[in-house]
Amino acid sequence: MDVRGVFIEDTFAEAFGMRGARLVITARNERWAREAASKLTGFATSVIACKCEAAIERELPATDTPDGRPGVAVLFFTMDSDSLGRRLIERIGQTVLTCPTTACFDGLPDLPDRLTTGKAIRTFGDRFQSSKVIGGQRYWRIPVMEGEFLLAETFGMQKKGIGGGNFLILGESADATLEAAEAAVEAISGTSNVILPFPGGIVRSGSKVGASYKGMIASTNDAYCPTLRPITKSALPEGVNSVLEIVLDGLDFDSISRAMRVGITAACRPGIRAISAGNYGGKLGPHHFHLRTIMEGA
Amino acid sequence: MSDWVTLTAREIDGPLVVTQIDPAKIAELSEADIAALPVSRGGRHAALGDFFTVQGERSARVRVVSSTRDIDGFGTGMTGGELEIEGDAGALVGAGMRGGMLRVRGSVGDDAGAAMAGGLLRIDGNAGARLGANTPGAAKGMSGGEIVVLGSAGPEAGARIRRGLIVVGGDAGRDAGRAMIAGSLVVLGSCGEGTGRGSKRGSLVACGTVQVPATYRYACTYQPPHVRMTLLYLVRRHGLVIDAAVIESQFRRYCGDAGDPGKGEILERVPSV
Repeated sequence: MDVRGVFIEDTFAEAFGMRGARLVITARNERWAREAASKLTGFATSVIACKCEAAIERELPATDTPDGRPGVAVLFFTMDSDSLGRRLIERIGQTVLTCPTTACFDGLPDLPDRLTTGKAIRTFGDRFQSSKVIGGQRYWRIPVMEGEFLLAETFGMQKKGIGGGNFLILGESADATLEAAEAAVEAISGTSNVILPFPGGIVRSGSKVGASYKGMIASTNDAYCPTLRPITKSALPEGVNSVLEIVLDGLDFDSISRAMRVGITAACRPGIRAISAGNYGGKLGPHHFHLRTIMEGA
Repeated sequence: MSDWVTLTAREIDGPLVVTQIDPAKIAELSEADIAALPVSRGGRHAALGDFFTVQGERSARVRVVSSTRDIDGFGTGMTGGELEIEGDAGALVGAGMRGGMLRVRGSVGDDAGAAMAGGLLRIDGNAGARLGANTPGAAKGMSGGEIVVLGSAGPEAGARIRRGLIVVGGDAGRDAGRAMIAGSLVVLGSCGEGTGRGSKRGSLVACGTVQVPATYRYACTYQPPHVRMTLLYLVRRHGLVIDAAVIESQFRRYCGDAGDPGKGEILERVPSV
């Protein structure tokens, strides 16, 4: 199979089950909403070392937010329910509570599984906090030096989230590969229920499981490193001199599939030889995104 | 099963007490059973069918047609479904209500939503005294749900409210929010004297004029995020017409009432210049 002359390998991306949450952060204007969201999602590229994966899902107009102010939707993912709750308390407490003019709302209000994040953070109010029920949801008013911070008491938890959807862009040069990856990110940006947690949505250092060093759980994916082609078991076709990876986390399988399809379509452009995907032989992750199946719907 | 059960009031001479109109229960009843529901007339028992023509059965949507101020107790203790009253209604509309939606397309008498615990009570006209307040001798008033009155309310609206939201689109009479325990009372018009007196906690939001009792202490002028959100919620969810300038307003916060714990607040809107 090929798309616009780019070969789509007969392989699949192997992904894992994760717990997910959506936060809606609003502020007086877009600048402060973005400021809080970017701090909140900082250093959250991979659970391997960051303990969570998070990124901005999309910006929201004032008409789409609970308090009628500009906002940003953020998706958060961890490997288990307990750590999702802890990460949210840490990060909201240190980045959204502290940011001028913000308020923080639950973006998954219909989900039955709830995290009592706001209930924990309310104690920052040192018994001066108070609650309000608006539209059936309880919110906490935490007095702060600026005025008041408004925070949802609970946040919905998606138990069927998926982390680690991915595809690899195999290009003839570093420039062509980066341009194709940027086009893929641009195409995926704003897709509901999906985030790209890595810098600019792109990974240059895809990893394999384990290492020759004792105790390391991940190391460079040597099979896809062009510089190692003659000295390792390379997976690179002839003419490929650079590889970039797009990693996707999402609230459900279909959303990730849709995002992969638009991303791969955008990445298939001159200077790209092939599109591949990272997997572990299908033995580790229960969710398999077969590239050719996904692209058949394109 | 019908889409609606319609109760058309015949000419009623004198007060009538109807306390068994709970759409959740009417959903189980035949037309004959509905007509046999007990009502009270001058302290004597009678049947609903003696005063209303009943059309339809087994529906959780009930409409009352030609209602008047002489009929008390519509929706008392209502637990679910939808009750719509075309015309005015008397006292105790939705008193002790626990769920469902009750809409009156006219005005109502005293004690509407008294001791209400859940659901939505919407009154398109005015409400009498003690809207959402406690019943006589009871420590607590409304303990949950929402009351939205598009017109004005009489004295003691929200007295001893423990939880929930009361919204008065027009003016509120004297002693609004008296001895509030918690919850919110939002008055889009002006408030009468004695507003918020004796409150423990809770929020009294005054978008019009209010005479803040001397026992409240000024804290600051700011934009309370929960007020903005509540007003916007009323626009989006209940279709209230609230000027954007009101939603964007600053409010003066007063803490009180003096005494223990004194964690109540009156939020007085600062009119935009």
